[in-house]
Amino acid sequence: MTFPLGFWDVSLILAVMAITLLITSELLSPYYGKINIQINKKRLKNAALATSTLFLATVVIRIAGIIIGGT
Amino acid sequence: MQKPKKDSALRRTIGQLGLTKITGWAILGLGALALAVSIVYSSSTLAIIGLGMIFWGVILTYIRNEEYVKELIFQSVGNSSFSSLNHILQQMGYSNKAIYLPPRYFKDPETSKAYLPKQQDEKPPTPEQIQTQEMHLFTENPKGMLTTPPGLELTKLFEKRLETSFTKEDLSYVERNLPKLLTEDLEIAQSVEIRNEATKITIRIENSPFSNLCNEAKAFTNAYNVLGSPLASALACALAKATGKCIIIQKETTDNKNIEIEYKLLPEEPPKA
Repeated sequence: MTFPLGFWDVSLILAVMAITLLITSELLSPYYGKINIQINKKRLKNAALATSTLFLATVVIRIAGIIIGGT
Repeated sequence: MQKPKKDSALRRTIGQLGLTKITGWAILGLGALALAVSIVYSSSTLAIIGLGMIFWGVILTYIRNEEYVKELIFQSVGNSSFSSLNHILQQMGYSNKAIYLPPRYFKDPETSKAYLPKQQDEKPPTPEQIQTQEMHLFTENPKGMLTTPPGLELTKLFEKRLETSFTKEDLSYVERNLPKLLTEDLEIAQSVEIRNEATKITIRIENSPFSNLCNEAKAFTNAYNVLGSPLASALACALAKATGKCIIIQKETTDNKNIEIEYKLLPEEPPKA
């Protein structure tokens, strides 16, 4: 009974989701004329930023692993 | 015979919980189940599906829609008070443009009122004249009326969202923050442009649902000509507080979904020798 996905798989999923959310939150911005969509855009933006941060954290962990492993 | 009762109870429960919330929790539960099964059977496909479903479940439960009121209802509620204000002004014979007074005219700097002159000249009263009779609806010297502007509550909402008072800020703060507030935060416009030309400030608001309210307000000729639409009035209150000068709504035009409001800043009276 082991988790079937590796660290990189999770990182890739996070990257795809972060991009999807970031693009959605940007397209729903009032600057593009979408002022009649009934969604809490602030929360969408927060979720997008949180997912992006998680993805970047996985990248940082990987880079740290390479640097520590390389020395 | 029990079925209709059960159906209505189910519908009521769904209504109370909200369809989005139920969908969010259902996706979250299915995702967790898929993830658990993927661990048992070591299936990467199920794990990806499970992670994806958990993610979207969390997103759906977290990003719920805000509470919205249909524009039609909002207009109907606003119009009745504006209509009664129009009737009062018509009966009392006030037709000159209102002067939005800055905080120095009142003992409490957070007070915001509009002065309606009885005589046809734009000369504003002095702060001393207003301070002695600020609690009265009708002023004797000079003859006029002191009223609460129709957009005052909207100005208070602006201040609440900006977490400041316009009294403490200046015009450059309004120029920097008001467009962002109206577009990104309150989402009542696609773009806002503020032009400051010495004694005139022009605000152009594009693609705003408020344009319908402005058009509706035009039907109440007296109140509209004297005090302006609620949005114009709210912005006049904010400008009077930020500039510290008396403000008059010079012109308000709407075309399609755009609103353009021209404000005139009245010159300060030189101190009496």
